[in-house]
Amino acid sequence: MVTQLLTGADRARARDFIEAQGLSFEPGFDDLVGRFEGGALVATGARAGDVLKMIAIDPAYQHGALLGEVAGELVRLGLAAGHDGLFVFTRPAHAPSFEALNFALLASHARVALLEYGGRFAAWLAAGARLVRPGPGAAVVLNANPFTLGHRHLVEEAARRAATVYLFVVREERSAFPFEVRLRLVREGTADLSNVVVLDTSRYAVSAVTFPAYFLGRTDPVAEIQMELDATLFGARIAPAFGVTRRFFGTEPTCATTRAYNAAMQRVLPSFGVEPVEVERAQAGGAPISASTVRAALAAGDDAALAALVPPTTLAYLLSDEGRAVRGRLHGAKGRHG
Amino acid sequence: MRIARKAQAGTMQSSDLMVALEPADELSVEIASTVKKQFDHLIHAVVSEVLSSRGVTAGRVRVTDRGALDYAIRARLETALERAGER
Repeated sequence: MVTQLLTGADRARARDFIEAQGLSFEPGFDDLVGRFEGGALVATGARAGDVLKMIAIDPAYQHGALLGEVAGELVRLGLAAGHDGLFVFTRPAHAPSFEALNFALLASHARVALLEYGGRFAAWLAAGARLVRPGPGAAVVLNANPFTLGHRHLVEEAARRAATVYLFVVREERSAFPFEVRLRLVREGTADLSNVVVLDTSRYAVSAVTFPAYFLGRTDPVAEIQMELDATLFGARIAPAFGVTRRFFGTEPTCATTRAYNAAMQRVLPSFGVEPVEVERAQAGGAPISASTVRAALAAGDDAALAALVPPTTLAYLLSDEGRAVRGRLHGAKGRHG
Repeated sequence: MRIARKAQAGTMQSSDLMVALEPADELSVEIASTVKKQFDHLIHAVVSEVLSSRGVTAGRVRVTDRGALDYAIRARLETALERAGER
């Protein structure tokens, strides 16, 4: 049977086994499980939060039931830990093996496939479908940390050119401003635009699952694949569900990660019938407006600069007691999207 | 009976199923199956029968099935219900 690998010796053996199967051993998991045959490890798997990883099966055992045993145990542990569903990344060739275990394929890329157990994506799409309006729509995905006049300009531009704009706010809690606040400021800041529908991305766009490099500021080849997978999920699954034919995003003058993400959208989206539309960023005082400029002004206590960078709704929040509490955190925050 | 806590039963092996239960205000049954096209209605029927025989009127019931026969479905659901009940 599949057992948890808890001792240092077992974990060292797992590491050797995982590396021998051509995968990299990544510490920082919540569970590590394995299956022994005659004293030798023949299968392993791990769970970090709601992501399954390091699932490896000895080639001599790959035609049996070991994958089901390992994945089943990890899913059991994940559900018991309170997760509603579990993700797995695997090589595209292995996706059908996971589909046979009732994982649903979310997106497949040349190098990697993303699947999910638990039916959350279908439920999220069904919830979103209730808000879909007739006719072709446009989409904007924002972290909005916090909502600026730059975001406002981008949304206005999309709203001017499309019948309906689906404005997705990144749910991931990796930012200085909590999701609930970011969402509220987006709603308040676009309340006067009647053809804008505000939604949340759940875990399915620019999340720690689909695009972790966004929060780490990385631009290496792995990050490149993540960006393309994120754009593939959007183009292949999310856009058609909302009738979205265009995705609007701002030009990126400074951040290399966001610029690479924009380039990935340009490469990937057209093949799914979604036109990428890059909008020139709004400026204030001769410099492009960005949320990081706003956070820098906040951290420096430069309240006078804020009014030129954010709409009145965001400004009111930033100057409130609640907004001031965020400033304390900003002093310690690192990274462009932090 | 009442689903008072989260509980699970079953495995991901062929001819078996996994059942996950959690408390909820209303009764909902979600079924994913590798043989959904042919047998979705039969799985639903067995699940409903067990739930009504146990007097379960609220809770979230999630089943992922890999072609289990009806007695396996009953056994896994009964076990999960035992684990989910009040102690």
